[in-house]
Amino acid sequence: MDVALSKNGARLLRLFFFLVVVFLYAPIVILLIFSFNDSAVPTFPLSGFTLHWYHQFLVNADLRASLQTSAIIAALSSLGAVVLGILASIALTRRRFHGKAAVSALLLSPLVIPYVVFGISLLLLFHQLGVPRSLLTVVIGHIVITLPYTILVIVPRLSQIDVSLEEAAFDLGASRLRTFRSITLPLILPAVVSAFLIAFTTSFDEYAVASFVVGTRVTFPIYLYSALRFPDQLPQVIAVAVVVLLVSLTVVICAEIGRRVAERRFVG
Amino acid sequence: MAVAEAREPPAPRRRRGRLDLTTPTLLGLPLAWLVVFFLAPIAIVAAYSLDVYSLDPGPHSLTLQAWHDFLHSSIYLRLFWKSVKMSLAVSAIVVVLAYPLAYYLALSGTKRKYVLLLLLIAPFLTSYLLRVLAWKVILGDHGVINSFLFWTGVRSPDHPVSQLLYSRFAVMLVLGYIWLPFVALPIFVSLESLDRRLLEAASDLGASRLQAFRKITLPLSLPGVVAAFLFVFIPTLGEFITPSLVGGTSGYMYGNQIVDLFGTGFPDWQTGSVLALFLLGVVAALTVVFARFLQPGQVSAD
Repeated sequence: MDVALSKNGARLLRLFFFLVVVFLYAPIVILLIFSFNDSAVPTFPLSGFTLHWYHQFLVNADLRASLQTSAIIAALSSLGAVVLGILASIALTRRRFHGKAAVSALLLSPLVIPYVVFGISLLLLFHQLGVPRSLLTVVIGHIVITLPYTILVIVPRLSQIDVSLEEAAFDLGASRLRTFRSITLPLILPAVVSAFLIAFTTSFDEYAVASFVVGTRVTFPIYLYSALRFPDQLPQVIAVAVVVLLVSLTVVICAEIGRRVAERRFVG
Repeated sequence: MAVAEAREPPAPRRRRGRLDLTTPTLLGLPLAWLVVFFLAPIAIVAAYSLDVYSLDPGPHSLTLQAWHDFLHSSIYLRLFWKSVKMSLAVSAIVVVLAYPLAYYLALSGTKRKYVLLLLLIAPFLTSYLLRVLAWKVILGDHGVINSFLFWTGVRSPDHPVSQLLYSRFAVMLVLGYIWLPFVALPIFVSLESLDRRLLEAASDLGASRLQAFRKITLPLSLPGVVAAFLFVFIPTLGEFITPSLVGGTSGYMYGNQIVDLFGTGFPDWQTGSVLALFLLGVVAALTVVFARFLQPGQVSAD
Protein backbone atom coordinates (compact mmCIF):
# COMPACT_ATOMS: atom_id res chain seq x y z
CA MET A 1 0.00 0.00 0.00
CA ASP A 2 1.25 3.43 -0.87
CA VAL A 3 1.36 5.61 2.21
CA ALA A 4 0.87 8.97 0.54
CA LEU A 5 -1.94 8.26 -1.91
CA SER A 6 -4.53 5.61 -2.59
CA LYS A 7 -4.92 4.38 -6.17
CA ASN A 8 -8.12 6.33 -6.63
CA GLY A 9 -6.60 9.35 -4.96
CA ALA A 10 -3.71 9.29 -7.40
CA ARG A 11 -6.13 8.95 -10.32
CA LEU A 12 -8.19 11.87 -9.06
CA LEU A 13 -5.12 14.05 -8.61
CA ARG A 14 -3.86 13.14 -12.07
CA LEU A 15 -7.20 14.18 -13.54
CA PHE A 16 -7.06 17.44 -11.60
CA PHE A 17 -3.48 18.04 -12.72
CA PHE A 18 -4.37 17.66 -16.37
CA LEU A 19 -7.49 19.81 -16.02
CA VAL A 20 -5.29 22.58 -14.62
CA VAL A 21 -2.82 22.12 -17.47
CA VAL A 22 -5.71 22.47 -19.93
CA PHE A 23 -6.81 25.64 -18.11
CA LEU A 24 -3.26 27.01 -18.31
CA TYR A 25 -2.74 26.28 -21.99
CA ALA A 26 -6.28 26.92 -23.28
CA PRO A 27 -5.86 30.71 -23.54
CA ILE A 28 -2.63 30.22 -25.45
CA VAL A 29 -4.30 27.74 -27.81
CA ILE A 30 -7.23 30.11 -28.30
CA LEU A 31 -4.81 32.87 -29.29
CA LEU A 32 -3.16 30.43 -31.69
CA ILE A 33 -6.51 29.60 -33.33
CA PHE A 34 -7.59 33.21 -33.69
CA SER A 35 -4.23 34.28 -35.07
CA PHE A 36 -5.18 32.32 -38.23
CA ASN A 37 -8.79 33.49 -38.25
CA ASP A 38 -9.86 35.60 -41.22
CA SER A 39 -11.71 38.26 -39.25
CA ALA A 40 -10.77 41.58 -37.72
CA VAL A 41 -12.36 40.63 -34.39
CA PRO A 42 -11.64 37.46 -32.46
CA THR A 43 -15.14 35.98 -32.29
CA PHE A 44 -16.89 32.71 -32.97
CA PRO A 45 -17.75 31.30 -35.42
CA LEU A 46 -14.35 31.13 -37.09
CA SER A 47 -14.59 32.66 -40.51
CA GLY A 48 -11.68 31.23 -42.46
CA PHE A 49 -7.95 30.63 -42.53
CA THR A 50 -5.54 33.45 -43.20
CA LEU A 51 -1.88 34.35 -42.77
CA HIS A 52 -2.75 37.99 -43.24
CA TRP A 53 -2.13 38.98 -39.60
CA TYR A 54 1.30 37.38 -39.58
CA HIS A 55 2.14 39.19 -42.77
CA GLN A 56 0.83 42.44 -41.35
CA PHE A 57 3.03 42.31 -38.27
CA LEU A 58 6.06 41.34 -40.34
CA VAL A 59 5.73 44.58 -42.27
CA ASN A 60 4.89 46.68 -39.21
CA ALA A 61 7.97 48.84 -38.76
CA ASP A 62 7.03 50.17 -35.29
CA LEU A 63 6.58 46.71 -33.97
CA ARG A 64 9.86 45.47 -35.42
CA ALA A 65 11.64 48.48 -33.96
CA SER A 66 10.17 47.76 -30.52
CA LEU A 67 11.28 44.13 -30.71
CA GLN A 68 14.76 45.31 -31.62
CA THR A 69 14.83 47.84 -28.77
CA SER A 70 13.76 45.18 -26.30
CA ALA A 71 16.39 42.78 -27.60
CA ILE A 72 19.13 45.40 -27.15
CA ILE A 73 17.93 46.29 -23.65
CA ALA A 74 17.60 42.65 -22.66
CA ALA A 75 21.07 41.80 -23.99
CA LEU A 76 22.76 44.72 -22.23
CA SER A 77 20.93 44.34 -18.93
CA SER A 78 21.33 40.58 -18.70
CA LEU A 79 25.03 40.92 -19.50
CA GLY A 80 25.36 43.49 -16.73
CA ALA A 81 23.30 41.46 -14.28
CA VAL A 82 25.29 38.29 -14.97
CA VAL A 83 28.64 40.04 -14.47
CA LEU A 84 27.49 41.63 -11.20
CA GLY A 85 25.83 38.36 -10.23
CA ILE A 86 29.02 36.34 -10.70
CA LEU A 87 31.05 38.82 -8.64
CA ALA A 88 28.51 38.84 -5.83
CA SER A 89 28.05 35.05 -5.89
CA ILE A 90 31.78 34.41 -5.56
CA ALA A 91 31.94 36.76 -2.60
CA LEU A 92 28.95 35.06 -0.97
CA THR A 93 30.23 31.52 -1.42
CA ARG A 94 34.02 31.86 -1.26
CA ARG A 95 34.74 34.71 1.09
CA ARG A 96 34.25 35.31 4.76
CA PHE A 97 33.34 38.84 5.74
CA HIS A 98 31.36 40.72 8.34
CA GLY A 99 27.75 41.47 7.65
CA LYS A 100 27.34 38.73 5.08
CA ALA A 101 23.71 38.20 6.04
CA ALA A 102 22.96 41.89 5.53
CA VAL A 103 24.84 41.98 2.22
CA SER A 104 23.01 38.95 0.90
CA ALA A 105 19.68 40.40 2.05
CA LEU A 106 20.43 43.63 0.21
CA LEU A 107 21.49 41.77 -2.94
CA LEU A 108 18.23 39.80 -2.97
CA SER A 109 15.92 42.58 -1.83
CA PRO A 110 14.94 43.70 -5.37
CA LEU A 111 13.06 40.38 -5.51
CA VAL A 112 10.36 41.63 -3.17
CA ILE A 113 10.05 45.32 -4.00
CA PRO A 114 6.77 46.05 -5.79
CA TYR A 115 7.77 47.02 -9.32
CA VAL A 116 5.48 50.02 -9.28
CA VAL A 117 7.40 51.37 -6.28
CA PHE A 118 10.77 50.69 -7.88
CA GLY A 119 9.59 52.22 -11.15
CA ILE A 120 8.60 55.53 -9.59
CA SER A 121 11.75 55.53 -7.43
CA LEU A 122 13.93 55.32 -10.53
CA LEU A 123 11.78 57.93 -12.24
CA LEU A 124 12.35 60.33 -9.35
CA LEU A 125 16.09 59.55 -9.26
CA PHE A 126 16.56 60.35 -12.94
CA HIS A 127 14.30 63.36 -12.64
CA GLN A 128 16.33 64.63 -9.69
CA LEU A 129 19.63 64.05 -11.46
CA GLY A 130 18.35 65.55 -14.68
CA VAL A 131 19.13 62.37 -16.62
CA PRO A 132 16.91 62.09 -19.70
CA ARG A 133 14.98 58.86 -19.97
CA SER A 134 16.35 56.54 -22.61
CA LEU A 135 17.25 53.01 -23.50
CA LEU A 136 20.01 53.21 -20.90
CA THR A 137 17.73 54.14 -18.01
CA VAL A 138 15.68 51.02 -18.72
CA VAL A 139 18.86 48.93 -18.78
CA ILE A 140 19.87 50.34 -15.38
CA GLY A 141 16.51 49.39 -13.88
CA HIS A 142 16.50 45.94 -15.42
CA ILE A 143 19.96 45.16 -14.06
CA VAL A 144 18.66 45.90 -10.56
CA ILE A 145 15.64 43.62 -10.84
CA THR A 146 17.41 40.72 -12.59
CA LEU A 147 20.55 40.73 -10.42
CA PRO A 148 18.92 38.63 -7.64
CA TYR A 149 17.83 35.99 -10.16
CA THR A 150 21.38 35.58 -11.42
CA ILE A 151 22.64 35.22 -7.85
CA LEU A 152 19.98 32.63 -7.05
CA VAL A 153 21.06 30.57 -10.03
CA ILE A 154 24.84 30.95 -9.70
CA VAL A 155 25.28 30.57 -5.92
CA PRO A 156 23.96 26.97 -5.70
CA ARG A 157 26.21 26.00 -8.63
CA LEU A 158 29.26 27.56 -7.00
CA SER A 159 28.54 25.74 -3.75
CA GLN A 160 28.45 22.42 -5.58
CA ILE A 161 31.92 22.84 -6.99
CA ASP A 162 34.73 21.24 -5.03
CA VAL A 163 36.73 24.13 -3.58
CA SER A 164 39.87 22.01 -3.67
CA LEU A 165 39.98 22.38 -7.47
CA GLU A 166 40.34 26.12 -7.09
CA GLU A 167 42.78 25.69 -4.23
CA ALA A 168 44.90 23.35 -6.31
CA ALA A 169 45.14 25.89 -9.13
CA PHE A 170 45.93 28.61 -6.63
CA ASP A 171 48.59 26.49 -4.92
CA LEU A 172 50.15 25.77 -8.28
CA GLY A 173 50.73 29.48 -8.70
CA ALA A 174 47.70 30.62 -10.68
CA SER A 175 46.41 34.02 -9.73
CA ARG A 176 42.87 34.38 -8.40
CA LEU A 177 41.81 35.79 -11.74
CA ARG A 178 43.51 33.00 -13.63
CA THR A 179 41.95 30.43 -11.32
CA PHE A 180 38.58 31.95 -11.99
CA ARG A 181 39.05 31.96 -15.75
CA SER A 182 40.47 28.47 -16.08
CA ILE A 183 38.69 26.56 -13.32
CA THR A 184 35.67 28.28 -11.83
CA LEU A 185 34.09 29.87 -14.88
CA PRO A 186 34.06 26.72 -17.04
CA LEU A 187 32.54 24.79 -14.14
CA ILE A 188 29.75 27.30 -13.49
CA LEU A 189 29.12 27.98 -17.18
CA PRO A 190 25.79 26.11 -17.34
CA ALA A 191 24.49 28.20 -14.45
CA VAL A 192 25.85 31.38 -16.02
CA VAL A 193 24.09 30.62 -19.30
CA SER A 194 20.86 29.84 -17.52
CA ALA A 195 21.18 33.02 -15.42
CA PHE A 196 21.68 34.98 -18.63
CA LEU A 197 18.59 33.43 -20.22
CA ILE A 198 16.45 34.12 -17.15
CA ALA A 199 17.64 37.72 -16.98
CA PHE A 200 17.17 38.14 -20.73
CA THR A 201 13.60 36.85 -20.79
CA THR A 202 12.70 38.81 -17.65
CA SER A 203 13.99 42.04 -19.15
CA PHE A 204 12.45 41.34 -22.56
CA ASP A 205 9.03 40.92 -20.95
CA GLU A 206 9.29 43.66 -18.32
CA TYR A 207 6.63 46.35 -18.51
CA ALA A 208 6.12 47.85 -15.06
CA VAL A 209 9.55 49.37 -14.39
CA ALA A 210 10.20 50.16 -18.05
CA SER A 211 6.94 52.10 -18.31
CA PHE A 212 8.28 54.70 -15.90
CA VAL A 213 11.79 55.16 -17.26
CA VAL A 214 11.46 54.42 -20.97
CA GLY A 215 12.50 57.10 -23.43
CA THR A 216 11.20 57.75 -26.91
CA ARG A 217 12.26 54.33 -28.22
CA VAL A 218 9.56 52.08 -26.82
CA THR A 219 10.16 48.50 -25.80
CA PHE A 220 8.09 45.58 -27.04
CA PRO A 221 5.91 45.25 -23.90
CA ILE A 222 5.22 48.97 -24.00
CA TYR A 223 4.31 48.79 -27.68
CA LEU A 224 2.01 45.84 -26.92
CA TYR A 225 0.34 47.63 -24.04
CA SER A 226 -0.45 50.67 -26.15
CA ALA A 227 -1.54 48.52 -29.11
CA LEU A 228 -4.02 46.75 -26.83
CA ARG A 229 -6.02 49.96 -26.69
CA PHE A 230 -6.66 50.00 -30.44
CA PRO A 231 -9.07 47.24 -31.46
CA ASP A 232 -8.00 47.32 -35.12
CA GLN A 233 -4.51 46.27 -34.08
CA LEU A 234 -5.77 43.32 -32.08
CA PRO A 235 -5.48 40.58 -34.75
CA GLN A 236 -1.87 41.32 -35.53
CA VAL A 237 -1.05 41.68 -31.84
CA ILE A 238 -2.52 38.21 -31.40
CA ALA A 239 -0.27 36.93 -34.18
CA VAL A 240 2.78 38.47 -32.51
CA ALA A 241 1.62 37.05 -29.20
CA VAL A 242 1.55 33.57 -30.65
CA VAL A 243 5.04 33.87 -32.11
CA VAL A 244 6.48 35.31 -28.89
CA LEU A 245 4.74 32.76 -26.68
CA LEU A 246 5.90 29.84 -28.80
CA VAL A 247 9.46 31.15 -29.04
CA SER A 248 9.65 31.73 -25.28
CA LEU A 249 8.13 28.33 -24.51
CA THR A 250 10.73 26.74 -26.77
CA VAL A 251 13.59 28.71 -25.22
CA VAL A 252 12.43 27.83 -21.70
CA ILE A 253 12.14 24.14 -22.44
CA CYS A 254 15.46 23.97 -24.31
CA ALA A 255 17.24 25.91 -21.56
CA GLU A 256 15.90 23.55 -18.93
CA ILE A 257 16.84 20.44 -20.90
CA GLY A 258 20.27 21.90 -21.63
CA ARG A 259 20.84 22.72 -17.98
CA ARG A 260 19.88 19.21 -16.85
CA VAL A 261 22.11 17.58 -19.45
CA ALA A 262 25.02 19.84 -18.50
CA GLU A 263 24.55 19.26 -14.77
CA ARG A 264 24.39 15.52 -15.21
CA ARG A 265 27.62 15.63 -17.20
CA PHE A 266 29.46 17.78 -14.67
CA VAL A 267 28.13 16.46 -11.41
CA GLY A 268 27.43 12.90 -12.47
CA MET B 1 17.06 35.95 2.92
CA ALA B 2 20.56 34.77 3.71
CA VAL B 3 21.45 32.78 0.67
CA ALA B 4 24.98 31.87 1.65
CA GLU B 5 24.50 30.95 5.26
CA ALA B 6 23.87 27.25 4.84
CA ARG B 7 26.14 26.92 1.86
CA GLU B 8 29.43 28.09 3.26
CA PRO B 9 32.22 25.92 1.94
CA PRO B 10 33.76 23.69 4.57
CA ALA B 11 36.47 25.73 6.29
CA PRO B 12 38.43 27.12 3.35
CA ARG B 13 42.10 26.45 4.00
CA ARG B 14 43.26 29.23 1.78
CA ARG B 15 46.26 31.39 1.98
CA ARG B 16 45.51 35.02 2.59
CA GLY B 17 47.27 37.81 0.81
CA ARG B 18 48.18 38.19 -2.85
CA LEU B 19 44.54 38.42 -3.83
CA ASP B 20 43.60 39.94 -7.13
CA LEU B 21 39.92 39.18 -6.62
CA THR B 22 39.59 40.60 -3.14
CA THR B 23 36.27 40.76 -1.35
CA PRO B 24 35.95 44.52 -1.88
CA THR B 25 36.67 44.04 -5.59
CA LEU B 26 34.01 41.38 -5.80
CA LEU B 27 31.34 43.16 -3.81
CA GLY B 28 32.15 46.75 -4.75
CA LEU B 29 30.37 46.88 -8.07
CA PRO B 30 27.19 44.96 -7.19
CA LEU B 31 26.72 46.82 -3.92
CA ALA B 32 27.48 50.21 -5.45
CA TRP B 33 24.95 49.49 -8.19
CA LEU B 34 22.24 48.70 -5.66
CA VAL B 35 23.08 51.66 -3.44
CA VAL B 36 22.94 54.12 -6.33
CA PHE B 37 20.09 52.66 -8.36
CA PHE B 38 18.01 50.94 -5.69
CA LEU B 39 18.47 52.45 -2.23
CA ALA B 40 19.12 56.06 -3.25
CA PRO B 41 15.97 56.20 -5.42
CA ILE B 42 13.90 54.99 -2.46
CA ALA B 43 15.47 57.68 -0.30
CA ILE B 44 14.48 60.24 -2.92
CA VAL B 45 10.89 58.96 -2.79
CA ALA B 46 11.01 59.47 0.96
CA ALA B 47 12.28 63.02 0.40
CA TYR B 48 9.36 63.70 -1.96
CA SER B 49 6.90 62.29 0.55
CA LEU B 50 8.22 64.76 3.13
CA ASP B 51 8.15 67.64 0.64
CA VAL B 52 11.93 68.08 0.87
CA TYR B 53 11.94 67.63 -2.90
CA SER B 54 8.95 68.73 -4.88
CA LEU B 55 7.66 69.29 -8.39
CA ASP B 56 6.71 72.84 -7.43
CA PRO B 57 9.50 75.37 -7.63
CA GLY B 58 10.31 77.50 -4.64
CA PRO B 59 11.58 76.87 -1.15
CA HIS B 60 10.44 73.78 0.70
CA SER B 61 10.63 72.62 4.23
CA LEU B 62 10.18 69.21 5.68
CA THR B 63 6.56 68.44 6.46
CA LEU B 64 4.60 65.38 7.51
CA GLN B 65 1.41 66.82 6.05
CA ALA B 66 1.11 64.28 3.22
CA TRP B 67 1.61 61.37 5.61
CA HIS B 68 -0.95 62.84 7.99
CA ASP B 69 -3.46 63.30 5.16
CA PHE B 70 -2.84 59.78 3.93
CA LEU B 71 -3.35 58.17 7.32
CA HIS B 72 -6.58 60.10 7.78
CA SER B 73 -7.88 59.65 4.27
CA SER B 74 -10.69 57.22 3.79
CA ILE B 75 -10.13 56.91 0.02
CA TYR B 76 -6.55 55.70 -0.05
CA LEU B 77 -6.76 53.44 2.97
CA ARG B 78 -10.02 51.91 1.77
CA LEU B 79 -8.46 51.30 -1.63
CA PHE B 80 -5.46 49.72 0.04
CA TRP B 81 -7.72 47.48 2.10
CA LYS B 82 -9.65 46.49 -1.03
CA SER B 83 -6.37 45.53 -2.73
CA VAL B 84 -5.31 43.57 0.35
CA LYS B 85 -8.56 41.62 0.27
CA MET B 86 -8.27 40.93 -3.46
CA SER B 87 -4.65 39.79 -3.14
CA LEU B 88 -5.43 37.66 -0.10
CA ALA B 89 -8.27 35.96 -1.94
CA VAL B 90 -6.19 35.35 -5.06
CA SER B 91 -3.25 34.02 -3.03
CA ALA B 92 -5.44 31.71 -0.94
CA ILE B 93 -7.30 30.29 -3.93
CA VAL B 94 -4.13 29.79 -5.91
CA VAL B 95 -2.32 28.06 -3.03
CA VAL B 96 -5.28 25.76 -2.42
CA LEU B 97 -5.35 24.84 -6.12
CA ALA B 98 -1.59 24.43 -6.36
CA TYR B 99 -1.21 22.19 -3.32
CA PRO B 100 -2.81 19.10 -4.90
CA LEU B 101 -0.75 19.71 -8.05
CA ALA B 102 2.47 19.76 -6.07
CA TYR B 103 1.30 16.80 -4.00
CA TYR B 104 0.62 14.81 -7.14
CA LEU B 105 4.04 15.58 -8.60
CA ALA B 106 6.00 14.99 -5.41
CA LEU B 107 4.23 12.02 -3.84
CA SER B 108 2.31 10.04 -6.45
CA GLY B 109 5.46 8.28 -7.61
CA THR B 110 4.97 9.40 -11.18
CA LYS B 111 8.10 8.79 -13.20
CA ARG B 112 7.89 11.92 -15.29
CA LYS B 113 7.56 14.40 -12.46
CA TYR B 114 10.15 16.85 -13.77
CA VAL B 115 8.63 16.82 -17.24
CA LEU B 116 5.22 17.46 -15.72
CA LEU B 117 6.64 20.17 -13.48
CA LEU B 118 8.11 21.89 -16.52
CA LEU B 119 4.77 21.53 -18.32
CA LEU B 120 3.10 23.23 -15.37
CA ILE B 121 5.59 26.06 -14.96
CA ALA B 122 6.36 26.84 -18.60
CA PRO B 123 3.38 29.20 -19.05
CA PHE B 124 4.64 31.27 -16.12
CA LEU B 125 7.91 31.84 -17.94
CA THR B 126 6.25 33.26 -21.03
CA SER B 127 5.13 36.83 -21.56
CA TYR B 128 3.00 38.25 -18.78
CA LEU B 129 1.32 40.87 -20.95
CA LEU B 130 0.42 38.36 -23.61
CA ARG B 131 -1.27 36.08 -21.11
CA VAL B 132 -3.32 39.05 -19.91
CA LEU B 133 -4.08 39.83 -23.55
CA ALA B 134 -5.35 36.29 -24.05
CA TRP B 135 -7.93 36.79 -21.30
CA LYS B 136 -8.94 40.17 -22.68
CA VAL B 137 -9.69 38.42 -25.96
CA ILE B 138 -11.56 35.64 -24.18
CA LEU B 139 -13.64 37.68 -21.72
CA GLY B 140 -14.72 40.71 -23.77
CA ASP B 141 -18.35 41.56 -24.57
CA HIS B 142 -17.67 40.33 -28.08
CA GLY B 143 -14.89 38.05 -27.00
CA VAL B 144 -14.45 34.34 -27.31
CA ILE B 145 -16.81 33.26 -24.54
CA ASN B 146 -19.61 35.66 -25.42
CA SER B 147 -19.40 35.08 -29.17
CA PHE B 148 -19.45 31.37 -28.46
CA LEU B 149 -22.60 31.83 -26.39
CA PHE B 150 -24.21 33.90 -29.19
CA TRP B 151 -23.20 31.33 -31.77
CA THR B 152 -24.66 28.45 -29.86
CA GLY B 153 -27.77 30.47 -29.09
CA VAL B 154 -27.39 30.40 -25.31
CA ARG B 155 -27.32 34.19 -25.23
CA SER B 156 -28.59 36.79 -27.65
CA PRO B 157 -25.94 39.20 -28.98
CA ASP B 158 -27.88 42.05 -27.37
CA HIS B 159 -27.26 40.60 -23.95
CA PRO B 160 -23.65 39.55 -23.59
CA VAL B 161 -22.36 38.39 -20.23
CA SER B 162 -20.79 41.77 -19.65
CA GLN B 163 -19.54 41.20 -16.12
CA LEU B 164 -16.72 39.04 -17.47
CA LEU B 165 -14.32 41.76 -18.50
CA TYR B 166 -13.56 45.02 -16.66
CA SER B 167 -14.51 43.71 -13.25
CA ARG B 168 -12.95 42.65 -9.99
CA PHE B 169 -13.69 39.08 -11.05
CA ALA B 170 -11.60 39.52 -14.21
CA VAL B 171 -8.65 40.91 -12.24
CA MET B 172 -8.72 38.03 -9.78
CA LEU B 173 -9.18 35.40 -12.48
CA VAL B 174 -6.26 36.72 -14.51
CA LEU B 175 -3.98 37.16 -11.50
CA GLY B 176 -4.81 33.63 -10.37
CA TYR B 177 -4.15 32.33 -13.87
CA ILE B 178 -0.79 34.09 -13.97
CA TRP B 179 0.47 32.93 -10.57
CA LEU B 180 -0.95 29.40 -10.35
CA PRO B 181 1.95 27.64 -12.13
CA PHE B 182 4.55 29.41 -10.06
CA VAL B 183 3.14 28.76 -6.58
CA ALA B 184 3.20 25.02 -7.15
CA LEU B 185 7.00 25.26 -7.14
CA PRO B 186 7.80 26.08 -3.48
CA ILE B 187 5.13 23.64 -2.30
CA PHE B 188 6.58 20.96 -4.55
CA VAL B 189 10.06 21.58 -3.17
CA SER B 190 8.91 21.23 0.44
CA LEU B 191 6.90 18.07 -0.31
CA GLU B 192 9.74 16.63 -2.32
CA SER B 193 12.13 16.95 0.62
CA LEU B 194 9.67 15.21 2.93
CA ASP B 195 11.11 12.00 4.37
CA ARG B 196 8.70 9.31 3.19
CA ARG B 197 9.80 7.02 6.01
CA LEU B 198 7.82 9.26 8.35
CA LEU B 199 4.68 8.39 6.42
CA GLU B 200 5.56 4.70 6.46
CA ALA B 201 6.11 4.84 10.21
CA ALA B 202 2.74 6.55 10.66
CA SER B 203 1.08 3.92 8.53
CA ASP B 204 2.80 1.09 10.45
CA LEU B 205 1.54 2.60 13.68
CA GLY B 206 -2.00 2.45 12.36
CA ALA B 207 -2.57 5.97 11.11
CA SER B 208 -4.89 6.39 8.18
CA ARG B 209 -3.71 8.33 5.12
CA LEU B 210 -5.78 11.29 6.18
CA GLN B 211 -4.29 11.24 9.68
CA ALA B 212 -0.79 10.92 8.29
CA PHE B 213 -1.49 13.84 5.98
CA ARG B 214 -2.85 16.02 8.77
CA LYS B 215 -0.19 15.16 11.33
CA ILE B 216 2.88 14.85 9.11
CA THR B 217 2.66 15.95 5.49
CA LEU B 218 0.73 19.16 5.98
CA PRO B 219 2.78 20.52 8.92
CA LEU B 220 6.05 19.64 7.23
CA SER B 221 5.04 21.28 3.97
CA LEU B 222 3.81 24.41 5.72
CA PRO B 223 6.98 26.44 5.06
CA GLY B 224 6.50 25.83 1.34
CA VAL B 225 2.85 26.82 1.61
CA VAL B 226 3.68 30.05 3.43
CA ALA B 227 6.43 30.85 0.92
CA ALA B 228 4.04 30.15 -1.97
CA PHE B 229 1.40 32.37 -0.40
CA LEU B 230 3.81 35.28 0.00
CA PHE B 231 5.25 34.83 -3.49
CA VAL B 232 1.77 35.58 -4.83
CA PHE B 233 0.56 38.03 -2.22
CA ILE B 234 3.52 40.40 -2.35
CA PRO B 235 3.54 41.06 -6.11
CA THR B 236 -0.25 41.10 -6.51
CA LEU B 237 -0.65 43.65 -3.72
CA GLY B 238 1.20 46.25 -5.79
CA GLU B 239 -0.22 45.06 -9.09
CA PHE B 240 -1.31 47.68 -11.62
CA ILE B 241 -0.91 46.15 -15.08
CA THR B 242 -3.63 43.49 -14.90
CA PRO B 243 -6.19 45.79 -13.24
CA SER B 244 -5.53 48.51 -15.79
CA LEU B 245 -6.06 46.06 -18.67
CA VAL B 246 -9.01 43.99 -17.43
CA GLY B 247 -10.18 45.71 -14.24
CA GLY B 248 -12.19 48.71 -15.33
CA THR B 249 -13.29 50.90 -12.43
CA SER B 250 -14.40 48.11 -10.09
CA GLY B 251 -11.08 46.30 -10.47
CA TYR B 252 -9.01 49.44 -9.80
CA MET B 253 -6.27 48.65 -7.28
CA TYR B 254 -3.88 50.52 -5.02
CA GLY B 255 -1.08 50.15 -7.56
CA ASN B 256 -3.18 51.94 -10.18
CA GLN B 257 -3.66 54.82 -7.77
CA ILE B 258 0.11 55.16 -7.37
CA VAL B 259 0.61 55.15 -11.13
CA ASP B 260 -2.13 57.73 -11.62
CA LEU B 261 -0.59 60.05 -9.02
CA PHE B 262 2.60 60.01 -11.08
CA GLY B 263 0.70 60.13 -14.36
CA THR B 264 0.39 62.98 -16.78
CA GLY B 265 -3.09 64.11 -15.75
CA PHE B 266 -2.86 65.73 -12.32
CA PRO B 267 0.45 64.56 -10.93
CA ASP B 268 0.82 64.67 -7.17
CA TRP B 269 4.24 63.24 -6.53
CA GLN B 270 4.13 63.96 -2.83
CA THR B 271 0.98 61.93 -2.17
CA GLY B 272 2.15 59.31 -4.67
CA SER B 273 5.42 58.95 -2.79
CA VAL B 274 3.55 58.45 0.47
CA LEU B 275 1.40 55.74 -1.10
CA ALA B 276 4.43 54.04 -2.61
CA LEU B 277 6.42 54.07 0.63
CA PHE B 278 3.45 52.78 2.59
CA LEU B 279 3.15 49.82 0.21
CA LEU B 280 6.88 49.24 0.40
CA GLY B 281 6.74 49.34 4.20
CA VAL B 282 3.97 46.74 4.34
CA VAL B 283 5.79 44.45 1.93
CA ALA B 284 9.10 44.88 3.77
CA ALA B 285 7.43 44.08 7.09
CA LEU B 286 5.86 40.94 5.65
CA THR B 287 9.22 39.90 4.21
CA VAL B 288 11.02 40.40 7.50
CA VAL B 289 8.36 38.62 9.56
CA PHE B 290 8.26 35.64 7.23
CA ALA B 291 11.92 35.73 6.20
CA ARG B 292 12.58 32.24 7.49
CA PHE B 293 9.97 30.87 5.08
CA LEU B 294 11.41 32.81 2.20
CA GLN B 295 14.78 31.07 2.01
CA PRO B 296 15.45 31.57 -1.67
CA GLY B 297 17.38 28.32 -1.63
CA GLN B 298 14.06 26.59 -1.30
CA VAL B 299 12.92 28.05 -4.55
CA SER B 300 16.02 27.69 -6.57
CA ALA B 301 16.79 24.18 -5.40
CA ASP B 302 15.60 21.36 -7.62
